[in-house]
Amino acid sequence: MDDDSQQPQSMQAIGVELSEDNGNEMSSEQKNIEASAAETKADDLVDANPNQKDLTDSDNTLEDSGDFPGISSVMGGVPSDVSSPTAPLQREEDVTAESWRTKRKHVFVLSEAGKPIYSRYGNEEALSSTMGVMMALVSFVQSGNNSIRSIHSDKQKVVFLQQGPLVLVSVSRAPQSEEQLGKELQYVYYQIISMLTQASVARIFERKKNYDLRRLLAGSEKILDSLLDLLDTDPGFLLGAVRCVALPCQLRDSLSSILTKAITPNLVFSILVAEHQLVTVVQERAVIEDCRLDPADLHLLLNLIGASSAFQAGEIWTPICLPRFNPDGYFYAYISYLDSSCTVCLVLLSTDKESFYAVSGCKKKIQEAMEAQNSLQALAGALRCCSYSVSLVGVPELLHFVYKPLDIPDIYRQLPQFTSPEPDGPYSSEEERQRLFDLYRYLHCRIHSSARPLRLIYHVAEKETLLAWVTSKFELYTAFSSLVTKVGAINVITKLLRWIKREEDRLFIRYPPKYSTTPVPGKGVKSGRTDRTDPSQNGFFTGL
Amino acid sequence: MMKKPDLKVVLLGDMNVGKTSLLHRYMERRFQDTVSTVGGAFYLKQWGPYNISIWDTAGREQFHGLGSMYCRSASVIILTYDVCNMQSLVELEDRFLDLTDTASDDCIFAVVGNKIDLTDDLEAAESDGERLRRGSATKLRKQVHTEDAIALYKRIMKYRMVDEIHAPAADKMCFETSAKNGYNVDLLFESVFNMVIPLIVKKKANGPDDTVNLAQNHHVKKAKSGCC
Repeated sequence: MDDDSQQPQSMQAIGVELSEDNGNEMSSEQKNIEASAAETKADDLVDANPNQKDLTDSDNTLEDSGDFPGISSVMGGVPSDVSSPTAPLQREEDVTAESWRTKRKHVFVLSEAGKPIYSRYGNEEALSSTMGVMMALVSFVQSGNNSIRSIHSDKQKVVFLQQGPLVLVSVSRAPQSEEQLGKELQYVYYQIISMLTQASVARIFERKKNYDLRRLLAGSEKILDSLLDLLDTDPGFLLGAVRCVALPCQLRDSLSSILTKAITPNLVFSILVAEHQLVTVVQERAVIEDCRLDPADLHLLLNLIGASSAFQAGEIWTPICLPRFNPDGYFYAYISYLDSSCTVCLVLLSTDKESFYAVSGCKKKIQEAMEAQNSLQALAGALRCCSYSVSLVGVPELLHFVYKPLDIPDIYRQLPQFTSPEPDGPYSSEEERQRLFDLYRYLHCRIHSSARPLRLIYHVAEKETLLAWVTSKFELYTAFSSLVTKVGAINVITKLLRWIKREEDRLFIRYPPKYSTTPVPGKGVKSGRTDRTDPSQNGFFTGL
Repeated sequence: MMKKPDLKVVLLGDMNVGKTSLLHRYMERRFQDTVSTVGGAFYLKQWGPYNISIWDTAGREQFHGLGSMYCRSASVIILTYDVCNMQSLVELEDRFLDLTDTASDDCIFAVVGNKIDLTDDLEAAESDGERLRRGSATKLRKQVHTEDAIALYKRIMKYRMVDEIHAPAADKMCFETSAKNGYNVDLLFESVFNMVIPLIVKKKANGPDDTVNLAQNHHVKKAKSGCC
C-alpha cells in the first residue's frame, strides 16, 4: 500500500475520499457508536433547535457525538438545493451549456477503457473527454492500490462505483449521502445487468477491452432514464421494499389462487401488476425454497415493463436477468396486458426459452378464470380508490408517512413491502414532493448510517416536523405540521400504528401463495428440483 | 389451450426502422411514437378462417440471440429497412439473413423500405392536403432505392437456394411503406397473407392433423421434400 495515496487530497473545499482512508480510526470509532446505538432508548427524544433551519449534524442526534465528516458534508448547502425538480430529459442537450452543468444529478456509465456508455443528460459521444477525465481519476487512484469512492465539494458530490468492467459515476447536487448515491449507481448497474447479464458483460470486455457497449444497449437509454426518475421519486428503492396495490384481502386471495392454478413446467414466478404496482406474486415452491424474489429485482422488472412498448393485443417474450436472484442467468419473461386500457399487466417468468406458447396458454387460463369471476372489474373498482389520502388516518396533524413493516414471519419469505399515502395537501406540487422526499432521504441516511445508526430521530425542519423511528417491527417516517409537540407527535404515531394494524390486510400481501409446477408431491418434486439446478436443462444459462 | 396459429409471420430489421410502427398501423390503424421493443412481441390476427401469428422482434443487437427462435418454422419473413438509412439495408444481409435459417423451407420473403414519408419520393402518393400541411418541411434524401431492395431480394433467394422461377417475383415482394401515413401498409400485409394462404391449405391437406401443429411443422416439411 502506498500511504501517500491515502491522504485526503483536498483543495480548498474539495475532499477526496478513498476507500481505505483512516481505516483504523474509523473502526475504533465505530465500536463506540455501536455501543451508543444499543443503549439508545426508543422514547429518547431529543429536541432539534427550531431556530436552526440548517440540517446540521449536532442538533437532532440522540447522543452527543463526534464528527461525521461524511454526513455533515452531505447536508452542506441543503436548503438552497432542495428545490429544482429534474427538468425533462433532452438527449441532444448542449453539454457545454450552463444548464447542463447545473443539473441536479448527473449519472454517467463508462467502460474501463474510458469509453462512454451512458449519460443521463446530453449525448455520451460529446462527453467522451469528460468521461476520459473520470477514468483518469479512477485509474490514478487505482495505480496506488486504492480505489476512489467520492469527491466532495461545497455544492456537489461525485460518487464512483466500479462494477466489473464498468465504472459508474454520479455527480449530484441533491442532498443525499454518498451511500445513497452509491446505492443508486448500484441500481443502474443492475438494470444494465438485467438486460445483458453480468457474465456476458464480463466476457465481452475480456475479449475486447475497448468494446463499445452502446451497441448492445442502444434503445435501452429510456429504461435507464426512467429508472433514474423513479430513484428520485419512489421511496421503494430507498427502503428496499415494494408498494403493493391496496386491495380487499379476499380479492387479492382470489387473484392469487387464479395464478396458482395456471401453471406449466419451468414457470417460476407469476406476477400481477396494476398501474406499475404489485397486486400479487406467486412463486414456484421448489425453486424458491431458499431464496425469494428480491425487491430490487422486482423494481427493475417493473421499470423495464413501464419503459417498453407493446400495444394491448401484443404478448411480449423477452429474456431478462434478475441480478439479485442470479446475475449470470436469464429468465424468459412473458408480459401481457389483460385489459384494453393497459393498466393490469401479467408477468410470467419461465426458465425455458422455448416455452412461449405454453406460458401464453397459462395467460389464456388466467384470463378466462378472471372473466368467470369478474375479477378485472373488481380490480378496476379497487384501483379507483387504491391510492389513499393521509386524511384517511383521521389525524389532521399528520401530513404524510412511509411505513415499512418488519414483522412479517420469515416462514412466508415475504417480499419486503411498504405503504405510503398519496402525497397531497402541502405536497401537491412536484417541488414540495421532492423536498419531502429529500427530507426522508436525510432521515433514512441518519437512521441507517453505518458509522452511527440511530433508532429515532425527531427533526424540526423549516416547514414541517419529522419523526423517523425504527423498531424490530417496523420502519416509519412521518411528517407533521410544524405546530406539533413531541407528545402530540407520539400520540399521532400511536393512532397511525393502530390504523395501519387495522388496514394491514388491505395494504400488504400478508400470506404469499406458492405453487408447484411438479404435479406429484414427494418424488416428483425432488426430481423437478434436480432438473432446475442442472444448468444444461433449465435454460438459466442458455443465454450466456 | 390457446388456438394454434396457422402460420407465422416475422418482422425483422435493424432497430428504429419502424417494425413496431408498421404493425401498429396495420393492427390498430394509427401511428404513435413507440419505444424500443424488448425481446419480441406476439400478435394474433384473424384472417378469414385462419389465425395468423405475427412476431414483432426487437432490432437491437442485444436481443440478436433470440432471432432464430422467433423465426423457427416461419412462413413469412418481412425484412424491414429505413429508406433514409443505407446501413439499415446492409444490416439485413449482414445480421439478419442467417437468422432465417430456421424458417420454413417454403418461407416467403418480403423486403420493406419504411419511412418513405420522410423522403420527397412520396409526393405523388400523398394527398394535397398532407403536402400543404407539411409545407416545405425539409425532406431527407432517399438513400435506398427500389433497385437496391430488389437486388437484396435476389441475393436472399440465392442464399436460400431457391430458384427464382419458383419464388414470387422480386418486384412483387419489395415494398416501400410509411407507417406514419399508412401508405402501402395494408397492401404489404394483405399481399403476403394472400400469398401464404395457399401454402397453409396445402399443408393442412398434407399434414396428419387437421390443424397445423407448430411443433410438428418440421416433420410435415420433411415428408414433402422427400417426395419432390
